[in-house]
Amino acid sequence: MTVPILEVKGISKTFGKVKALDSVDFYLQKGVVHGLLGENGAGKSSLMNVLSGIYIPEQGTIKIQNKKIDRLNPELASSLGIGMVHQEFRLIENFTIKDNLTLSKANIFLENFKEAYLKYSEIFSLNSSYNTLVKDLSVGEKQKVEIMKLIFKNSAIMLLDEPTAVLTPQETSQLKISLETLSKEDEKTIVLITHKLKEIKDFTETIFVMKNGKMVAENLQTDEVSDKHLIELMMGEIKTISIRKDNLKGETKLEVQNISLINNDEVNVLNDISFNIKSGEILGVAGVSGNGQVELANVICGIQQEFNGKVLINSNDVSGKGVKSRKKLNLSYIPENRLGVGLAPGVSVLDNSAIREYFKASYGPHLSKGKMVNYLNDLIKQFSIKAPDVKAEISTLSGGNMQKLLMGRELISNPEVIVAAQPTRGLDVSAVESIHKLIINQRNEGSAVLLISEDLDELFKLSDRIIVLYEGRIIKEVDIESANIESLGLAMAGINE
Amino acid sequence: MNNYILSKKLFRNELSTFYSFLIGFIIALFVGSLILLIQDKNPIDVFSLMLKLSVGSINSLSNSLNKAIPLILAGLGISIINSVRLWNIGAEGQIFMGALALNFFYINSSIQNSALYIFLLLTASFIGGSICILIPALTKVLFGVNEIITTLLTNYIVFGLTIYLINGVWKDPASLNFPAAAYVSELVYLPIIVGKLSSGFLICIIFTLLAFYIKDKSVFGYEMRIAGGSELTAIYAGISAKQKAFLAMLIGGGFAGLAGGIELLSQTHRVSTGISQGFGYTAIIVAAITGMRPLGIFLVGCLFGALTIGGSVIQTIGVSSYIAEIIQATTLFGALVAQFFFSYEIKKKVENG
Repeated sequence: MTVPILEVKGISKTFGKVKALDSVDFYLQKGVVHGLLGENGAGKSSLMNVLSGIYIPEQGTIKIQNKKIDRLNPELASSLGIGMVHQEFRLIENFTIKDNLTLSKANIFLENFKEAYLKYSEIFSLNSSYNTLVKDLSVGEKQKVEIMKLIFKNSAIMLLDEPTAVLTPQETSQLKISLETLSKEDEKTIVLITHKLKEIKDFTETIFVMKNGKMVAENLQTDEVSDKHLIELMMGEIKTISIRKDNLKGETKLEVQNISLINNDEVNVLNDISFNIKSGEILGVAGVSGNGQVELANVICGIQQEFNGKVLINSNDVSGKGVKSRKKLNLSYIPENRLGVGLAPGVSVLDNSAIREYFKASYGPHLSKGKMVNYLNDLIKQFSIKAPDVKAEISTLSGGNMQKLLMGRELISNPEVIVAAQPTRGLDVSAVESIHKLIINQRNEGSAVLLISEDLDELFKLSDRIIVLYEGRIIKEVDIESANIESLGLAMAGINE
Repeated sequence: MNNYILSKKLFRNELSTFYSFLIGFIIALFVGSLILLIQDKNPIDVFSLMLKLSVGSINSLSNSLNKAIPLILAGLGISIINSVRLWNIGAEGQIFMGALALNFFYINSSIQNSALYIFLLLTASFIGGSICILIPALTKVLFGVNEIITTLLTNYIVFGLTIYLINGVWKDPASLNFPAAAYVSELVYLPIIVGKLSSGFLICIIFTLLAFYIKDKSVFGYEMRIAGGSELTAIYAGISAKQKAFLAMLIGGGFAGLAGGIELLSQTHRVSTGISQGFGYTAIIVAAITGMRPLGIFLVGCLFGALTIGGSVIQTIGVSSYIAEIIQATTLFGALVAQFFFSYEIKKKVENG
């Protein structure tokens, strides 16, 4: 094997108590497309930030073109030929393509810009004049410009962070061809960072896998490794402790029929989704975030009112109606975004506690503060919330207590239907446990629960049935008894055997 | 290396706004004293004279309170609009527009000697203030245009409109070269309660309580708070954040318009450029000092009214009336700095990369 163009050894980086990178080794061969696979939070982005000089690691060595680098910083990394495309584009919208491409002082095509642009716009099949303003381009086209920017500033090593997240399937296969051409003809070294299994198999020649800040597999040859093996590496052992599932299921409470939704970028974010949930049943929704979960919850809960298809709560058609119609039929929604959607930042604990049922504390235009306080005291007692000062801002509560307040507020009226999105994300173990208990109790009381989660442990523990969302479609539906973690993992990555 | 960071305090003393005001006011008196000393005046003499001539007699006290009326009403309007976390810099224009609308209604109706007629005139001024903020409100909710800019710009438009009217169609020939509209009939003057105190002050008290009720005790006030906290939370709760913002702006504009109407019927008795002497801008200071609390706005409004009167009378002993404005502005500055230290603390940085 030849000398790697870039080699890092034993890289460690901690944030507070969290070990983001734990003695990670990583190396790249010139002219090869590498894949870096891992779940959200596995440490992929942290590693890339180390390589591009943004994070200074506490330990480890970095060698670029066999030269040891003592202290990398963004400018140095860039001059050594390391370039990165971030998930959020760093383009100047009001500038033309040409201005964006030639902005860097490292620009190598100053004299013969036109020929270079002709060559690379053909490789990327970008059919816009270089005088087009970037703001007039589609998302996919912007991405092409973003990658071309690296070429124009002579980056030999191109780090691409989730480049396909914003692309249509056609654009994705086009990108694949472009990257192949770059690696073969220009000998560019490319790293594709992703959690999509299918793409890593399609795009790359060699694969690295990260999990929990560690590099769990190095330099696997793409054509030799199986999907199953990659899933195991990426997800690790999953404990499938299941709670009693022989509870009584009653009549259908929530029915979702043929829901389709096209967003402002004309992407089909939801595609013909149908399911129903009975009383006393938890339906788990698995999937990597960004595959339509938020949109699905918003459709069911009345925040997104324009869509195709039907939503029925207790056989009442609420399609096209708003949030209040759902509240009347006693649907509760625990949104993924706790502070910002579920709770209003900068507003008091007391005001936040009443968001679901404040109209019950009103007499005409008058709002009874006494009733609100009583209601909050009930919540505090029943859900053991620690709120030192109810008139203080909501951010005075800890994350766990915020979530308990939010859950309590949504659950105290014993709702018919509950939609809970990522209810335990970011919480510590004991808070997770008490949130799980709340959901189970509510199910036993006869609620129909839609549980959206990225955490497979949680889904296995709580759900009676699981559906997997992939690119806005239900790619798999299984009963918990017959579910198996590997096939779910594959389905989450878009592979359904 | 910068080893210290500012962090937001989780808990604040409930009276912190009041303390901030006191601290600001003390700093302002101190700064004012320094300026007086530079001018070889004895600050104690000047301040006691100001005190005597602004609150020392029924007449001077009622002058002070009359001055407070537009400050309080416009300040209340600003505080209602701030419930949805929007800033109204256009109270000055709304005050003028209130007076213009009142005069328009007055000219185009038959004058009656009745309380109902005066009520209708004042209603016209309220609506005038709402109309004045209508364009900033619409552009805000429809296109998200920054309301600070648009409300500020409407001030210039309305002031220009006022100049146009009092030099043109409304110009009173009897006023000779002074540009002003004709005086209104004595029948529509607001009655005096005591001394020189206009009954506009009673309206002011009623509207203070009304603003307090709207902000603190009503469903609408609650919905405004949630909408102001987070538009997404409002949508999630089934509250139309845009509708609340729109209504808050119209109501707040109306409060300032009413101030213009009262000023016309109780002080100037005609439309001229003297309808407001920067009340709409001073009202921003009053509202900001009190942390947008209606009862606080009432009290600080009264104090600032007295300061304005005190400032104008000390000119007789050769001290510029600007000393009053310096005190007002420095109070705001000091109070904001004090509020900052009540809300934040300086902490040693914790090393976390």
